[in-house]
Amino acid sequence: MKSKNKFIILIGCVLVFSLAFTFLRPTPIYFQIPKGWPKPNYDFSKNPLTEEGFQLGRKLFYDPILSKDSTISCASCHLQATGFTHVDHSLSHGIDGKIGTRNSMTMMNLAWSKTFMWDGGVNHLDVQPLNPITSSVEMNETLANVVQKLQKSDKYKSLFFAAFGDENITGQRVLKALSQYELMLVSSNSKYDKVIRKEAVFTEQERNGYQLFKNNCASCHTEPLFTNGKYENNGIPLDTTLNDIGRQRITEKSEDNLKFKVPTLRNIQFTNPYMHDGRFKKLTEVIKHYNSIEKNKNLPKQLQSSMNLTDNERVDLIAFLLTLTDTEFLFDKRFSYPR
Amino acid sequence: MKIKYLHIFVFTLFFHWAYSQEKKDNFSLQFKIKYENESLIQNKKYISLSKDTLQFETFRFYVSNLKFILNDNSEIVEDNSYHLIDIDEPSSQLISISKKSNKQIKRVVFSLGIDSTASVSGALSGDLDPTKGMYWAWQSGYINFKIEGKSSSCKTRNNAFQFHVGGYLKPNYAIRTIELNTKNSNFEVVIDLAQLFNQIKLSEINSIMIPGSKASDIADKAKLMFSISEFSPNEK
Repeated sequence: MKSKNKFIILIGCVLVFSLAFTFLRPTPIYFQIPKGWPKPNYDFSKNPLTEEGFQLGRKLFYDPILSKDSTISCASCHLQATGFTHVDHSLSHGIDGKIGTRNSMTMMNLAWSKTFMWDGGVNHLDVQPLNPITSSVEMNETLANVVQKLQKSDKYKSLFFAAFGDENITGQRVLKALSQYELMLVSSNSKYDKVIRKEAVFTEQERNGYQLFKNNCASCHTEPLFTNGKYENNGIPLDTTLNDIGRQRITEKSEDNLKFKVPTLRNIQFTNPYMHDGRFKKLTEVIKHYNSIEKNKNLPKQLQSSMNLTDNERVDLIAFLLTLTDTEFLFDKRFSYPR
Repeated sequence: MKIKYLHIFVFTLFFHWAYSQEKKDNFSLQFKIKYENESLIQNKKYISLSKDTLQFETFRFYVSNLKFILNDNSEIVEDNSYHLIDIDEPSSQLISISKKSNKQIKRVVFSLGIDSTASVSGALSGDLDPTKGMYWAWQSGYINFKIEGKSSSCKTRNNAFQFHVGGYLKPNYAIRTIELNTKNSNFEVVIDLAQLFNQIKLSEINSIMIPGSKASDIADKAKLMFSISEFSPNEK
């Protein structure tokens, strides 16, 4: 009889403990793949999305603690309202007002990217933040120092506890939390998407522009992500004040000279200036470049002949590109500065 | 009656198992960082055969995929085997692995560096955590080994030399397999930096920061640093 009582108490204790752990466990987030989109490239099994992990990543993204003198956060160069890029700056600036050599990239639909940065030097979303953190013209900090600073903060200790089950703050966890936030930045609700889902219709001008887009741009800016994820020479000449050779720096192959990532066109209305060095301020300049591209043997086959669009056609093409604006994404409160 | 004997039998088995665990299970592999025959002292001045003065500040390297080949050709393979060995951290220079066998070790095999699988797996933990300063930022991948110091032969800022050697993609794959034979169960792995610096001239090469043919060449030369030193049990 006595042993039976003991047994019941034991079972009770186990139940209470397991219940406690159920409540403490972070809340999983189900990553929704928009209808008709390919499978994401990111391996979510290695970094399961949770509400707490996402919120921690969001806090880190907006916190200048990542930089050496606590002046620069990720959001300094990646502003939500402009598709997470640095609007109006051809080259982005970082710590002490220092200026980098490239235009900051947009951030959206990153779960589908295989490689990162304009030159593709980064092979995984998790390790991308090492670039801005350690760059002497961006945040000029080390990940080890960032971890040390975070470990001194009670606020962060409790956030890491909520996201990962204990107060341990490590480099791996900082990077995984940032990834969780970045993975959630999915833009799939533009007018274009609604037309594809048959929830809206293009105007005649937009429809005409869409045809022109499919004939002239879609082989590299492939739907639905509007990038093929590859690196190409798009015919803009080398800026000799920067001498940025692009992908060749990574691969050391001469055929990769002046190749840069094919960027997504989503939200392009707000992501100006354009190109890796931000040399074009306006979308009309970009279209003009492709419309009368100078022949050169290094161009990919897709660019061997120029578009030769009429003035009206160019206006139509831009009308279509504006349907890629996803206002819901650009003003989604879940992605904004955490309050 | 029978059940009682069974109890005794089980207990005997258990004790035997527990005892033998203690006896055989842990094998410690010691790494000794040296310059020629003496333990390397940081910032002490050495001179290489190439007549370079050498003062070492940083020396860190990855040992991965560690395995032991036993006398009967069976193998003990360590799972999830990634170790960062750091001259600044004496505890990192001793790797303890379980060896559930009495047989003698005849060969130690490991990689100098981190394989491509781990290099493309994002943010990892423990010795692979990017806070260790052994992961490249602008070009992803692990630094397999890092040697930094000063030499009067280097016409660089602060006479510094720095070798950050890595690369997981062909043709600049810089991971090297080290195979060391031993006749004695009591041994340690010696890493003699003189064996690398005797092969190079710091006036010709003193900085490697990216994967490439130069890094691969230094990785080849670095293999010579590793050797086995055997000793009799009472020496230790």
